[in-house]
Amino acid sequence: MATVISLKRRMKAAQNVSKTTKAMQMISASKLKKAQYAALSTRPYVQELDLMTKNIINAIDKISFNHPYLKSRKTTGKTLLIILAPDKGLCGGLVSNLLREQIAYHKKNPDNSFYIPIGKKIEGYVARLSKDVIATFRFGVTNPTFDVIAPIMKIIDEYYLGGKVDGVKVLFTDFRSFFSQIPTIATLLPIELPVEVAKGKQSCFYVFEPEASEILPDLLRHHVEMTFYHFFLESFVSEQAGRMIAMQNATTNANDIIEDLRLEYNKTRQAKITSELLDITGAAIAAA
Amino acid sequence: MHLDVITPDKKVLSEEIDGLSVNTPNGHIGILPNHVHLVTKVIPGEMIIKIKGKERYYAITGGFLEVNENKVTILADYAVQSEQIEVEKALEAKKRAEEILKKTKEKVSDRDFALAQAELRRAVMELRVANRRRRVRSLPPQG
Repeated sequence: MATVISLKRRMKAAQNVSKTTKAMQMISASKLKKAQYAALSTRPYVQELDLMTKNIINAIDKISFNHPYLKSRKTTGKTLLIILAPDKGLCGGLVSNLLREQIAYHKKNPDNSFYIPIGKKIEGYVARLSKDVIATFRFGVTNPTFDVIAPIMKIIDEYYLGGKVDGVKVLFTDFRSFFSQIPTIATLLPIELPVEVAKGKQSCFYVFEPEASEILPDLLRHHVEMTFYHFFLESFVSEQAGRMIAMQNATTNANDIIEDLRLEYNKTRQAKITSELLDITGAAIAAA
Repeated sequence: MHLDVITPDKKVLSEEIDGLSVNTPNGHIGILPNHVHLVTKVIPGEMIIKIKGKERYYAITGGFLEVNENKVTILADYAVQSEQIEVEKALEAKKRAEEILKKTKEKVSDRDFALAQAELRRAVMELRVANRRRRVRSLPPQG
């Protein structure tokens, strides 16, 4: 049976863990609120932008207007995959889920992808998996601002418009709810038309003011940037939600352990007192 | 005619309207019900919408506008109704931005300079829209 002192030490350790995880949980909870607001309020904008862009793409004459963002091509057979992961761990299964998805992707498309891992937690793994890592970035620990995409967009332009890759995909974590964050691979470029719109409904005619060739490049660029930025926001809110839940579980577990240890500690203490009393009375009887 | 004004922060407006007017690169345009399908850019300035004979004023920054089957969608970076413009805040922002712009370029990074420029433009526009609202109010009621 463990001694009283060692039990006490273990209780102390569990209490410390519980305190730390509780604090981390509270930090994530407050960050989560902000992140959730940012991600959820951007959602309708991005959806509407997506709808608008696709409506318009569908309506224009694709022969007279040919933008590289719209052209699907198969010249190099290569893809650029950008992976959004947190800089910090302790957020439940988030990173390993992302990694599983990435490995599955890598197996399906061996040796025809370039990678840009973003976030400390994943860059090492990706580098071990493939040689074609062209750049790495930090994800950051605060709510991502719109500036973060600028340097990455530069690389995307260099590879996509420069004809080194056929498409650009993003692996990010989609925030469904507090308990469900799903790693998702989405296509950033070329801009994909939804099938039902692409097939049916010869949609309406639009007047462009000024010329379509002046508006559309701006609109498409804006579409790509906003979509990409929105992936950042979704990933960040997923990270915070994942961490909050993980830390909540950790706190509960630590408290369970503390309770068990306390029970054992009390029993041991009681037993020790009893045996000491027995010793004393035994000695008194013997002396009498 | 239905109007949606959406910014990355929130849905500013989603209402049935009688008409609206905004600034575009080609000039000021007005949109009334049954307008032809249109795609255009919105440039920073004042947006006036008419609901049941009453006019409402908004300060709006750049964005895109689409008219489709009597449904108008405006995606803007920022939009605020004249009543909600905080004049004090706008004045302060204007002053702050002007101070940054006054410094020589070596002291300010290009990025800060551009940010200050954008802030100044927005503040000036907000003030203009807010002032206009006051003028309108002081007019005697039309009989």
